[in-house]
Amino acid sequence: MIGAFWCLLFAHGSLCAQAVNQEGLAATRVDFVRDVWPILSRNCLSCHGKEEQESGFRLDTREAALSSGDEHGPNVVPGQGNASNLVRFASGQVDGMQMPPDEDPLPENQLEILRRWIDEGAAWGDVAAAKEADAKSWWSLQPLSSPPVPDLLPGSRNELDAFVRSKLLGLGITPSPEADRRTLIRRLYFDLIGLPPTPEEVDAFVASPDPAAYELLVKQLLDSPRYGERWARHWLDAAHFAETHGHDQDRIRENAWPYRDYLVNALNADKPYGRFVEEQIAGDVLYPQQPSVIPALGFLAAGPWDESSLRDIREDTIDRQIGRYLDRDDIVTNVMNNFASSTVQCARCHDHKFDPISQADYYSLQAVFSGVERANRAFDADPAVHLLRQSLRARKSRLDSEGPARCEELLSAAAQSEVADWEEKLNEARSAWKILAPQSAVSAGGATLKTQPDQSVLSSGMAPEQDTYTLSFSLPAGDFTALRLETLADDSLPQRGPGRQENGNLHLSEIEIYSGGIDGQRIEIARATADFDQVDWGVARAIDGNPQTAWGIFPMVGQSHLAIFEFKQKQPTAEGQPLTVVLKQLHGGHHLIGRVRIAVSAAAPELAVMPPEKVEAILAVAPDQRSEEQRLELALYQQQTKLASELAQLPPPSYVYAAASDFEPDGGLKPPPGPRSIQILKRGDIRQPLEEVTPGSLSCLSSLPARFKTNNVAAEGERRAALARWLVDSRNPLTWRSIVNRVWQLHFGRGIVATPNDFGRMGAVPTHPELLDWLAIWFRDNGQSLKQLHYLIVTSATYRQTSAARTADEAAMKLDVDNHFLWRMNRSRLDAECIRDAMLCATGKLDLRMGGPSDRQFSLTPGSHVTPIIDYSKFDLDSPLSNRRSIYRFLFRTLPDPFMESLDCPAGDTITPVRDNTVTVQQALALWNDALIARRSEQFAERLRSLGNNTAEQVETALQLTLGRRPSEAERVELIAYADQHGLENLCRVLFNLNEFVFVN
Amino acid sequence: MDHHSHFTRRHLLSHASGGLCGIALADVLARDGSPGTQSRGGGLVGLHHPAKAKQVIQLFMNGGASQMDLFDYKPELEKRHGQKFDPGTDERVEAATSEAGAVLASPFKFQQHGECGRWVSDQFPQLATQVDNLAFLMAMKSRTNVHGPASFLMNTGFLLPGFPSMGAWISYALGNLCDDLPTFVVLPDSKGLPYNQRGNFSAGFLPVMHQGTIVRANATEPIPDLAAPASAKFISEASSRDGLQLLEKLNQQHLDGNAGDSRLTARVRAYELAAKMQLSAPQAFDLTQETAETLERYGIGNPVTDDFGRRCLIARRLVERGVRFVQVWSGANGPTGNWDNHASIIKELPPIAASIDRPMAALLEDLGQRGMLQETLVLWNTEFGRMPFSQSGEGRDHNGGAFVGWMAGAGVKPGVSHGQTDPWGWRSVEDVTTNYDFHATVLHLLGIDHKKLTVRHDGADRRLTDVHGKVIQQVLS
Repeated sequence: MIGAFWCLLFAHGSLCAQAVNQEGLAATRVDFVRDVWPILSRNCLSCHGKEEQESGFRLDTREAALSSGDEHGPNVVPGQGNASNLVRFASGQVDGMQMPPDEDPLPENQLEILRRWIDEGAAWGDVAAAKEADAKSWWSLQPLSSPPVPDLLPGSRNELDAFVRSKLLGLGITPSPEADRRTLIRRLYFDLIGLPPTPEEVDAFVASPDPAAYELLVKQLLDSPRYGERWARHWLDAAHFAETHGHDQDRIRENAWPYRDYLVNALNADKPYGRFVEEQIAGDVLYPQQPSVIPALGFLAAGPWDESSLRDIREDTIDRQIGRYLDRDDIVTNVMNNFASSTVQCARCHDHKFDPISQADYYSLQAVFSGVERANRAFDADPAVHLLRQSLRARKSRLDSEGPARCEELLSAAAQSEVADWEEKLNEARSAWKILAPQSAVSAGGATLKTQPDQSVLSSGMAPEQDTYTLSFSLPAGDFTALRLETLADDSLPQRGPGRQENGNLHLSEIEIYSGGIDGQRIEIARATADFDQVDWGVARAIDGNPQTAWGIFPMVGQSHLAIFEFKQKQPTAEGQPLTVVLKQLHGGHHLIGRVRIAVSAAAPELAVMPPEKVEAILAVAPDQRSEEQRLELALYQQQTKLASELAQLPPPSYVYAAASDFEPDGGLKPPPGPRSIQILKRGDIRQPLEEVTPGSLSCLSSLPARFKTNNVAAEGERRAALARWLVDSRNPLTWRSIVNRVWQLHFGRGIVATPNDFGRMGAVPTHPELLDWLAIWFRDNGQSLKQLHYLIVTSATYRQTSAARTADEAAMKLDVDNHFLWRMNRSRLDAECIRDAMLCATGKLDLRMGGPSDRQFSLTPGSHVTPIIDYSKFDLDSPLSNRRSIYRFLFRTLPDPFMESLDCPAGDTITPVRDNTVTVQQALALWNDALIARRSEQFAERLRSLGNNTAEQVETALQLTLGRRPSEAERVELIAYADQHGLENLCRVLFNLNEFVFVN
Repeated sequence: MDHHSHFTRRHLLSHASGGLCGIALADVLARDGSPGTQSRGGGLVGLHHPAKAKQVIQLFMNGGASQMDLFDYKPELEKRHGQKFDPGTDERVEAATSEAGAVLASPFKFQQHGECGRWVSDQFPQLATQVDNLAFLMAMKSRTNVHGPASFLMNTGFLLPGFPSMGAWISYALGNLCDDLPTFVVLPDSKGLPYNQRGNFSAGFLPVMHQGTIVRANATEPIPDLAAPASAKFISEASSRDGLQLLEKLNQQHLDGNAGDSRLTARVRAYELAAKMQLSAPQAFDLTQETAETLERYGIGNPVTDDFGRRCLIARRLVERGVRFVQVWSGANGPTGNWDNHASIIKELPPIAASIDRPMAALLEDLGQRGMLQETLVLWNTEFGRMPFSQSGEGRDHNGGAFVGWMAGAGVKPGVSHGQTDPWGWRSVEDVTTNYDFHATVLHLLGIDHKKLTVRHDGADRRLTDVHGKVIQQVLS
């Protein structure tokens, strides 16, 4: 019994399968594949196989084995085991013919297998098929079974206990009693919401006469918004989420946090798990009417991203292709490890060595994601805006696509009459704007500024980091109300400008307008508007007096833009009066204006886009003289302009860093033209492509098809939708086993399968396979509610046991010292977040504001290239950014917070289904000496003083707030003495370091 | 063996959790004496064969040091200077960040040095006096031409983040030789961290204790949290001393009621060790204990060499005190001030080369004189080389096809050069050394079989050398 059980736990399947002993043999016939083939392949085939045939003998097919072998053949004579040369040579009976040569004869049990096999007729078997069948017989690939629930033993509370306790009964280990309420409430609080109970909550629970007080408490905690915050962090670990790219160019992802908020909200709303999976893989496709699910796609982009390879190096390099391929590998791995507990990534360079996963399967999964990149994905959280934008964009793409339908529409009477109205209004607006001819244009930074025929000024030549242009004009007479600044696209500029930065952008830090020369009267500006504002770089920043902020137009590069600056007061001007415009461009990095034109208006300022030259030329032709082609062109322009202004009037979209196929280009990162062709790569080498694959997934599940039949394989979204459906299919045994095991693992510290992301042969096997299947089916068929699953688990008697190790219990110590079979609860060390949050609770400073951009608990200065310089030690611990829950900390991938890291908080560079739980010297140093501990100790002490009148009271409260209990008499004396001698702060420091504080029983 | 007792302690600390995959503490300790075995997800036990080297100092040139401007003398470049680069093979000539320019001869003078006749350019006059002690890997090769993945590859054996670095693997395999300093120490350039920042010395999926501890040589507090913060006025020596005593007492009482959990006892021990480290670690960084002559020899005090010299000397002091693996970086991340000389070899390479030449020569000499080279391995590496053709006139773009590294000290055959590049230094062509071969060789010298040092992670038994790597016998003594 014990032997079998250890074998089950630790041995690879193959070890068990090969352990055929003499006794077993006597009872059954020799099986060629199971018993004979391993002996032949290990000892014989390298010289007598497909590649080499020493002495003309080969043993890799039955026919050859029975006939070949120059002067010695036949070496295998069916029915004559002892007389066959194979056995005689292998047993060393024939001098000079010892096989294998220069080695000891085969052991007797192997010789016996060979003898018996030949005696029984030397039957052959299909080794390949048998291997495949064996591989597919692996437990995790079998359909979910509905095992009967064992009889409820005394002390059991629900079905889980029935399974766990029947196993314990079999082992002869008795379960542990229920823990006391004081222990249970602390356990439940940290487990479900990640925070400690208040002393009042502890006392109320301990004193409650209600026999259902525990169940009530569980429900309360699951209903608390704190629950989502706690459990979202587990998902962030698994998704290897962080908020920077994580390679040499470790850029900040300003829009990663909406994914974190999605997780918190989805968990709090108890979204059915199938839906939760679908949204994170293909929510945009499966739920197109619900834009609020778009941030779920942040899952696919959560891992690291190699900006150098994927954005900055040349498109035509092998390194770019390698970068894309490895990027898809990360996405595939993230999806399949976390949702299916499959280590499919091991089949990248060769078929999976241990699991029945082919390279073709792996690359089919790459094909699912071959049409997406990681980018800032725009979305409208408001469904109405979302739909309106969708319809406008649909109209835009209609207008953008050439064809007879478009011609017909644009030449219709209605469209042409719209053009006429528009032209009239345009003319009015145009007469109001007077373009000013520059009299001089000076660059402080040394750029060449040249006036163009259209009175614009084009910058060329040297492009300094920063610059200031000073433009001088002579005004016509009039009462001017506004100044218009146009930044114009130009073929000479990068990305056609209008900026000179490599990406076409510009940053106007400040505009200053002077009546007269530079020493003249400054004209005050009331308001600034622009046709387009870059996110966080609105045009108002060009008039805020702060040179650190600026107007930008990224990513709308390659097109002209304009900004209008309304004067506070009308400027009555005489003919010829000078006007000076100073354009400060101080952001650095060549964010300079490429081409600029200035105009003033005496009319009420109106937004009017300046048409391109081609349209100008048509406007110059009298309407009735225009050709059909010209009328078409003009109508197109008018419609596009109208559409652009309608789009511009929509509220600005939100962004999430997510998988996206349609996004604003960013340097060399552009939306893919469609799903890229994916080929199997020999040895995983990009230079050795083999056949192309179609989108699909694993082929080892008999219940589900391996390749997807989508209606439209060209639509990348269909591919993801197909994978999402494949995963959440009720017949997929992996997905449902995976999630219940993951939740189990997070409650007990160890899964029913100890490797939650690997249900293959390299992973662990289930300690309670029947329970795992029962739970999976129960969960799948009862609303897929994670909260109900938590409830079921934590209300079980198994969960409510004490955690005492019972070192005197011989059966428990001998058979299951590591508690794999749950004869007690596991004691857990609080994770980094719980420790940090529990300290905040003790100080009374915990700020429960939820969501939004992450708190940057470091100083940040620009680095010499992309990666900023951050310093955690320079963070002000008294800043309001210090006090929210740990889930809201900003996660910097290549330089995580050292305090949190010392407590095993993962960095987001690798998928972490189970956190390490180390005890190290560095950790002791961090908890003892870190500035965070010192400051929290001070804050805690300050609070204690307000809560208690003397040291005795303060000590008592301190223990309740950290350990959830009152001190013993001996402790009271000792703690008071220490606090009286060294102060409460030092006492708090000691309490934060106690084993009892960082562990939960 | 000395190593045994440290091993026990280290396992006490790292695996006290009850094991990542359910290996009990007792189980791990029981296997301590059987070399070459390993526990699943747990700690490696024992060395695989007798070690030549006990400790390692690795000097890492961040940015891609130019092989044909330092060691790989190429007269062919002089002949073809200014011509279009044509290697005469089918392989497409491409560069990562630029259009391939014309052939660019090295602007520096080369000369042969030592008995071995190693060519060295005039950028390393001091190191040139040491060539007879070094083994050169003249034909190294990377899988990539991009800094991030290439730095990961040379440090962790993989192109992606999340894998343990060589120092972490060695820490995991061998533990430390002392208990008052970290096992794996990283001394970054004072200008900042390298590309990938701490990703290059991360523990990956190994427990965090194996991660490189960053030591800021110039900071008042070289190791974070070694002492209580100055901002905490309430902490005094007495309050800390009495506090630790109280802590131990309370933890002991807690233990009495919670027997049988090794993590709880390990934590008590961790505080004892922390107190010890707090006292002795600062001495390792205190260079006032060195003679004026030594300081001068390392170039300390000279603004050109001060930073790197200081860190080389600290490296020696750390190794003396039993640190297992010290990594000293030259160059921070970013476009300039490191070895990533895109804009101009003639302007950008001399200052960075001068900043390390004297210190590294002094380190070799010093270790030699103290007899420490017998047991210490010194490594000089970079993530890739540079192109034989120009980028924007006088710079060079990244080249994963060829670069140079060298090894010295324990177990290394002195004065040899292994491998050759093509006539332009564009591609390694003969006796090519991959990162896998290099890592396998380092592990071999430390008594570790690179194929046996594995940890199961995410479905695979992971190694520093992935599924590759051959020990380079030609550089072994």
